[in-house]
Amino acid sequence: MTEEAQSLITDEHRATIGRRSAGHHATVHEKDARRMRDILGDTDPRWADGTGMAPPYIVAGLAGRRPDMPRILPGGLLTTQEWKFTRAFRIGEKLSGYNEIVDIRERLGGRYGHSVLVTTATYWYDANEDLVASIFATYTQFDPKGAKKDEE
Amino acid sequence: MSQKYFEDVSVDDEIAPLERTPTAEMAVDFFGRDNPFNPAFADAEAGKRLGLGGALVPGMMKIAWMTQYVSDWAGPECFVKSVRVAYRRPDLAGKPLVLSGRVVDKREEDGEPIAELEVVTIADGQPSVRGNVVLRMPSRG
Repeated sequence: MTEEAQSLITDEHRATIGRRSAGHHATVHEKDARRMRDILGDTDPRWADGTGMAPPYIVAGLAGRRPDMPRILPGGLLTTQEWKFTRAFRIGEKLSGYNEIVDIRERLGGRYGHSVLVTTATYWYDANEDLVASIFATYTQFDPKGAKKDEE
Repeated sequence: MSQKYFEDVSVDDEIAPLERTPTAEMAVDFFGRDNPFNPAFADAEAGKRLGLGGALVPGMMKIAWMTQYVSDWAGPECFVKSVRVAYRRPDLAGKPLVLSGRVVDKREEDGEPIAELEVVTIADGQPSVRGNVVLRMPSRG
């Protein structure tokens, strides 16, 4: 290595890791489940009207606050995502969501040049405080100028 | 929709490919018109300003399709435990996406019969999203 890159991640950024947000709330609505099913062409009888159940992908439509993410570099792309479920969603149930920064790390080289990867999580709990679903997302932050230079 | 059992599934079993054509209208409706969404999902010009050549297909909609695709293959007694994806290339509204899948692992985990599938979306002959779906399956035993 001829040049040592300086880390872009500060102690202030690191301090955000693991800090859980205040709760935000969402209700699993039948109209949302129906709309999403219809768009995807999903005819699965488990979550048809009247069953009281909602498809797992309703997690994408749960209203709630997005995780607050430190903005370290100006460009950003969602690069990986994971959904985890412990049980099926029930129509009408009220859920509480909590956001968290899970990890911040950086990468040198590649198509984005010096980039920062921020992984966030949103955990959805039911009224009994049992975890129903989690969403993890990794955003790659980069400087578009650095990425362009890297491609040249 | 037929039911698959743990004993019926083998590593390298393939799911028949499925073609879907996402539209900008679908993308907006997916999240609900009253909810905030990325303007690049609905507006081809906004997508072009990002250098994408048109309206962008939301990643969440593609994961939802992957979830449904695997769930339909496995049958109503299966349970999707997790879906993990890596976005490789942006997909544009109006262009067909082909989903294909393959069983990559079969195991018992905490006493549960588990099948893991790799799912890929192909657009213009190239993979745009790669994912792994973990299913709990019913057992004949």
